[in-house]
Amino acid sequence: MPKRILRVNMDNLEVKFEDFPAGFAALGGRGLTSTIVEKEVDPLCHPLGANNKLVLAPGLVTGTLAPSSGRISVGCKSPLTGGIKEANAGTPFSQQLAKMRIAAIIVEGKHKGPEYYTLKVSMDKAEFSSADKWVGKGLYDTYKNLFKEYGKKVGICGVGIAAELLGASSGICFNDPEGLPSRYAGRGGVGAVMASKGLKFIIVDDTGAPGVEILNEEAFKEGAQKLRKALTTHDVTKPGGALNSYGTSVLVNIINEAGGLPQRNFSTGQDDRSEKVSGEVKAAEIKKRGGQRPHFCNPGCIIQCSEVWCKPGGKDPVGCLEYESVWSLGPNCGIYNLDEVGELNRACNDLGLDTIEAGGMMGVAMEGGLAEFGDGKKALKLMDEIRNKTPLGRILANGTAFTAQAMGVTRVPVVKGQSLPAYDPRAIKGIGVTYATTPQGADHTAGYAIATEIMGVGGTADPMDTSKADLSRNLQIATAAVDATGYCLFIAFAILDIPEGLEGVVDTLNGVLGSNLTVADVPGYGQSIIDVERKFNKAAGFTKLDDRLPEFFLKEKLAPHNTVFEVSDAELDKVWGP
Amino acid sequence: MTILIKIFGNLRNKIKDVESDGALPLTIQINSEKIDRISDILQKFSIEKNETSHIFVNGVYAGFKKKVNDGDRVGLFSKNQALLYKWYFKREEDD
Repeated sequence: MPKRILRVNMDNLEVKFEDFPAGFAALGGRGLTSTIVEKEVDPLCHPLGANNKLVLAPGLVTGTLAPSSGRISVGCKSPLTGGIKEANAGTPFSQQLAKMRIAAIIVEGKHKGPEYYTLKVSMDKAEFSSADKWVGKGLYDTYKNLFKEYGKKVGICGVGIAAELLGASSGICFNDPEGLPSRYAGRGGVGAVMASKGLKFIIVDDTGAPGVEILNEEAFKEGAQKLRKALTTHDVTKPGGALNSYGTSVLVNIINEAGGLPQRNFSTGQDDRSEKVSGEVKAAEIKKRGGQRPHFCNPGCIIQCSEVWCKPGGKDPVGCLEYESVWSLGPNCGIYNLDEVGELNRACNDLGLDTIEAGGMMGVAMEGGLAEFGDGKKALKLMDEIRNKTPLGRILANGTAFTAQAMGVTRVPVVKGQSLPAYDPRAIKGIGVTYATTPQGADHTAGYAIATEIMGVGGTADPMDTSKADLSRNLQIATAAVDATGYCLFIAFAILDIPEGLEGVVDTLNGVLGSNLTVADVPGYGQSIIDVERKFNKAAGFTKLDDRLPEFFLKEKLAPHNTVFEVSDAELDKVWGP
Repeated sequence: MTILIKIFGNLRNKIKDVESDGALPLTIQINSEKIDRISDILQKFSIEKNETSHIFVNGVYAGFKKKVNDGDRVGLFSKNQALLYKWYFKREEDD
């Protein structure tokens, strides 16, 4: 059975399986979502109207035995940025879809009435049922009940109350291996796009799935073995390494020590109270409470950076508290209490909110006077405004920029409308260049990966040096390529230092595709994805003037380094050229 | 010369005479004229170079030969905390 596309028309609730176009054979994940969005979506359409489309696509090697490869990409025109969006997550859902040889689900049109639907996808059919009974309910209870209704082995993706409000900070929630609603394709308001169409859940049942077709078994096995070896031997990715021991939150103390951990809506870059919400403290607390650490977000992951945070006694599991979430809901709000951060993260998961956007929103809400910095209890009450669908809740659900405007706040940490993640660009210039110039809006993952040595990434590595165009461009290109494969970006740490690891990645791609790609082909592949995304954004009205950081990063010095973001506009424009 | 030292992760186990508060880093002030470089600090606490990952001096990613001065803040991270966007940082080995 060849790969297929499942096209879902919400105008008339019709579904059909289509042949996967031959020209798309080498596309997966972000490569596929961005290509389909660019080809099929009018760049000038309203993101929440009938003419936008939502595309879900597992990566090229997702569903195989390749290690750490369970990512799924979600693409659309973003209601937050107004440009193209790709957000991705690690979840068993992606592996199930890939094993069913469904290369993409394309959701189009818009249901006319107020009803919401669940789409159940099996090997040979896809059927709608009413989802109205779940409207207004939190996702923790809802996912528990959905698994009871559809069986423990299905995969679930869905949207929550924030998306019902068509909030631009709503994400799409995928289940983790334990069934918790904790793995998010969070960014850019992709949840609102799904909800705008009247679609609340997609359930996948992979019973009878043939598995991913592998055209060259020998190349695939050899590649998977090379990558496995690299991941299990590299200090960062191996069992007992940084990610495995402390999770992504190991970065809290590191970035605070580097003077780049934004505090209280990007007011300073260092506050030693952040130590109380560090990865080290969290890991010790999880052990004491009976949570899980390490943990994998999808079967077959070697790195296992995930965890299950819970209340004492192992009660009320939340899921993973990622570095970005701990920062956004913690230090960025002046909150240095892990229990409060955990409950705010639980509220985000329950309501279907992107934690980065929600924390950014809370930071400007506090600056605007809706709560004092550090008041975790009031922050939770503000989350209830969203839960109760009040007018204030509608404002908050629309994210950082919208809330700042409503509250008269002028220090607004967004690029292209999307909230900045957990690294202050005044202390770490290179990531600031990526925030400014990625087609996605401020996004740390957009320029996260790959080796200077192997990929020919140029530029200096001094964080204070302002010549970062080459560095950022090449990181963005490499990241786009990784996002298409379905591999987790964290494999970059291993393939950065161990050339056989990168060879292994390319070998597995050749195994699945029956191709003869080499490491030298990777940059061109990544560039082609960026080109498609930039083409869409240009047609949507974006210019180089959108590739800028907010004014206050250029004017307001950040302690302890007491620097501003002084990368010139010319340097920013050099990233993508004229 | 007074230097503030933050010791993170497993490196805390190397410091025997300072009480640890859960998993929080140890914060130690040292007063010594014998400290000139990061390597002197490591030696003072019997920390081997290969037991460290990131080292910061006043928020700047530093190497073993980095000179330290009165009033500096030094952060020492353990080997199993190696997780930096290393392409964003360059080690300052010395002055």
